[in-house]
Amino acid sequence: MLDRVLTRRREWQLRRFPKRGKLTLFCFVLTVLVLRANFGAGRLGTPEKDLDEIQETFSYIHRRVEPHRVLEEASVVDRERELSGGTGSNSYADFDVSKIFKDEDDGVQEFKRDSSLPYTLGPKISDWDQQRGEWLKKNPEFPNFVTDNKPRVLLVTGSSPKPCENPVGDHYLLKSIKNKIDYCRVHGIEIFYNMALLDAEMSGFWAKLPLIRKLLLSHPDVEFLWWMDSDAMFTDMAFELPWERYKDQNLVMHGWQEMVYDEKNWIGLNTGSFLLRNCQWSLDLLDTLAPMGPKGKVREEAGKILTKELKGRPVFEADDQSAMVYILATQKEKWGEKVYLENSYYLHGYWGILVDRYEEMIENYHPGFGDHRWPLVTHFVGCKPCGKFGDYPVERCLKQMDRAFNFGDNQILQMYGFTHKSLASRKVIRFRNDTSNPLQLKDELGLLHPSFKAVNVQTRI
Amino acid sequence: MGSEGGFSAQKRVFGGLPAVRGRPSSILPRGRQIHTTFKNIKITILCGFVTILVLRGTIGLNLMSSGAEEENRHLIEETNRILAEIRSGKDSDDLVEEELFRPNKTFTLGEKISSWDEDRSLWLEKNPEFPRLVNGKPRILLVTGSPPNPCDNAIGDHYLLKSVKNKMDYCRIHGIEIVYNMAHLDKEMAGYWAKLPLIRRLMLSHPEVEWIWWMDSDALLTDMVFEIPVSKYKDHNLVIHGYPDLLFEQKSWIALNTGSFLFRNCQWSLDLLDAWAPMGPRGPVREEAGKLLTANLKGRPDFEADDQSALIYLLVTEQDKWMNKVFVENSYYLHGFWEGLVDRYEEMLEKYHPGLGDQRWPFVTHFVGCKPCGSYGDYPVERCLKSMERAFNFADNQVLNLYGFRHRGLVSPNIKRIRNETVNPLAYVDQFDIRHSRTRD
Repeated sequence: MLDRVLTRRREWQLRRFPKRGKLTLFCFVLTVLVLRANFGAGRLGTPEKDLDEIQETFSYIHRRVEPHRVLEEASVVDRERELSGGTGSNSYADFDVSKIFKDEDDGVQEFKRDSSLPYTLGPKISDWDQQRGEWLKKNPEFPNFVTDNKPRVLLVTGSSPKPCENPVGDHYLLKSIKNKIDYCRVHGIEIFYNMALLDAEMSGFWAKLPLIRKLLLSHPDVEFLWWMDSDAMFTDMAFELPWERYKDQNLVMHGWQEMVYDEKNWIGLNTGSFLLRNCQWSLDLLDTLAPMGPKGKVREEAGKILTKELKGRPVFEADDQSAMVYILATQKEKWGEKVYLENSYYLHGYWGILVDRYEEMIENYHPGFGDHRWPLVTHFVGCKPCGKFGDYPVERCLKQMDRAFNFGDNQILQMYGFTHKSLASRKVIRFRNDTSNPLQLKDELGLLHPSFKAVNVQTRI
Repeated sequence: MGSEGGFSAQKRVFGGLPAVRGRPSSILPRGRQIHTTFKNIKITILCGFVTILVLRGTIGLNLMSSGAEEENRHLIEETNRILAEIRSGKDSDDLVEEELFRPNKTFTLGEKISSWDEDRSLWLEKNPEFPRLVNGKPRILLVTGSPPNPCDNAIGDHYLLKSVKNKMDYCRIHGIEIVYNMAHLDKEMAGYWAKLPLIRRLMLSHPEVEWIWWMDSDALLTDMVFEIPVSKYKDHNLVIHGYPDLLFEQKSWIALNTGSFLFRNCQWSLDLLDAWAPMGPRGPVREEAGKLLTANLKGRPDFEADDQSALIYLLVTEQDKWMNKVFVENSYYLHGFWEGLVDRYEEMLEKYHPGLGDQRWPFVTHFVGCKPCGSYGDYPVERCLKSMERAFNFADNQVLNLYGFRHRGLVSPNIKRIRNETVNPLAYVDQFDIRHSRTRD
């Protein structure tokens, strides 16, 4: 029948088709499969994912990234949910607060630093000691010493003005500031909580430099400025700093002489908690540190120098701590005499070696030591609860921060007859019965009316 | 015929080929044999590869990576569990709550104290280094707080943080100490009632404190210069924002606001706290009290007893006992309801200046009903958060003024420099530091 329409050759070709066709069909199916494999078919995955999975099987680090991915996913889910919420929604879960943040011009003139000039924190002041001395004389109602031996101290800490990327980050910032408020109330120290980036060029860890300089110059009655990171917590509420020891020093940091001056070790000291006197020397030191800070090429290049010069420093942009080690080690004659590297107590205490020993401390010691027996400060270096990715597992960090917080909070609550049920518990229980003579009770640690808070009797009037 | 011919033609053709193919391999030359073998191997490999692809597509590499995937799933579950645990506040060693309902025992805040005024004066005499006056001003203790567990949403904690910074700034400028409470001192007095045992405890532990200033966590201080005129209250023991006509004539449940008030540290205050407390205990007591309050106060919705309604009811029904020592303040915003204030900040900036404390420049902007720490507020979320951000920045600008900075608008977290650095910073300190300008006045 076909040969009526086609030539014999065509007919032959057509008849051959099923056999040849089989091969063609087979190849066609193959092609489809391969294409699908390359561009993915959702559930079925791609060869690249295979590679990832294989990598993950053998990679330890990737396992740790999971919790952070969960947090990331959680925020993605939140963002998706927010899209469904309208402007009239009363639900906080659906709302992305960054929607409301907006820069506006309110008409007040802005002054910008001339960016063509090399970076400085401000015009050079050379007579700050005289200026300040005169001011203090003219303003006796704002003395720089609160008692004979105790200088006026301003504790400075801070965090970003925007919400944390991590959903529980702000909660831990809140607990951390409560912890500092408690210590400072007991010890008569003022606090400044910074939430402003004063200088866009000095961002990140360098933001403290312009802030510290600004506070020193704006508060001449402050004798010592105590910088403290937001991830550091007070765990000894009874320990008062030995101010007498520092009467001839201008900078007190936790660290070790040999590690800084001999080894040039980048963790020979810690700039997460340090004291800086309000004087010309300090302004000069800040000016010396600042040039390594400006964001961008300057910071990158400085980072390379620091990695080369300092022991054990990994490769990353310049940070204020490494810069401090570098300056002190290379200019020891200029600065060393007024720098006190304190290690008789934990002005900064690395959390890794402290948090598991809290129960042991409670059993064997008592608050007031400030050292390895009862650390003054437990500093959660590397945990970064406000960010998405820390250097340690999320669970360990958060649980230990809770424990450190409760460890410190117990010392405050005991003033009022309460304590946490356990170091892991948020609940508090009464351990001292209520009495009709509350003033007869003396709190064990003497923190309600401590001697270091007593005012000079003269100021009573 | 034709088809037969076609077939026969095919046969003929195929007859040709099979003849070629049909030749036994042994008859093929060696080279040809090897060539064929290679071709077959190629095809085999190709087929094998395709089979693997197809199999992987359908079955996946589950067999190989089952260990890692399970571990990952485990980690994800762990993290979710931690987050949920942190949010819920459940502890791993939490025992069953003890019996709260004490049928025949009336609730008390603590042991009855009757001689507090004498005890306190005696203590102050014996401890002159902890006077009740500092630089001529009575010692004030600002008390605030929030629950110990994270808010239902992260944004709640962020605004708690901003709120405490705001209070810290005001208190540093004015020499006031802060207690930030995150503990439930009394299980029965939970929620808004938690402030009662707390205030009592602080009064009794700090006899040197003259005034306890309770402030809600959702109240922001928007006038950094204004100072509470305590000398005005020398004959009073409770200072609370409200309106006397709303209180006595209308018996309105919002006649007073217990979001920001002052309590003097004295026997009278302890007595008032004892009289106030009975409606607070969680459970049937609070429920019943709520019904009573709704029945007696104008405009009160149906819900369990809250401290504000209870105080209003107490002061109205026992007017003669308490009112002579209560100062109902409305000459400045010791509590300022946010809705009527936040939209006027620009107008205030234009026409007025800090230090007034009243409707021209409110002392306190109180975000009643916003409840950012919970899941739902009484108002649209965007309005609440935007307004809170505005209020915070409005206040923060007054703090940053000393340092020569200002926010880039009332809804911006970013700041701009409004004064250049100088080699003579102390001139600006004298001019702009709120503390110094106050003492000179």
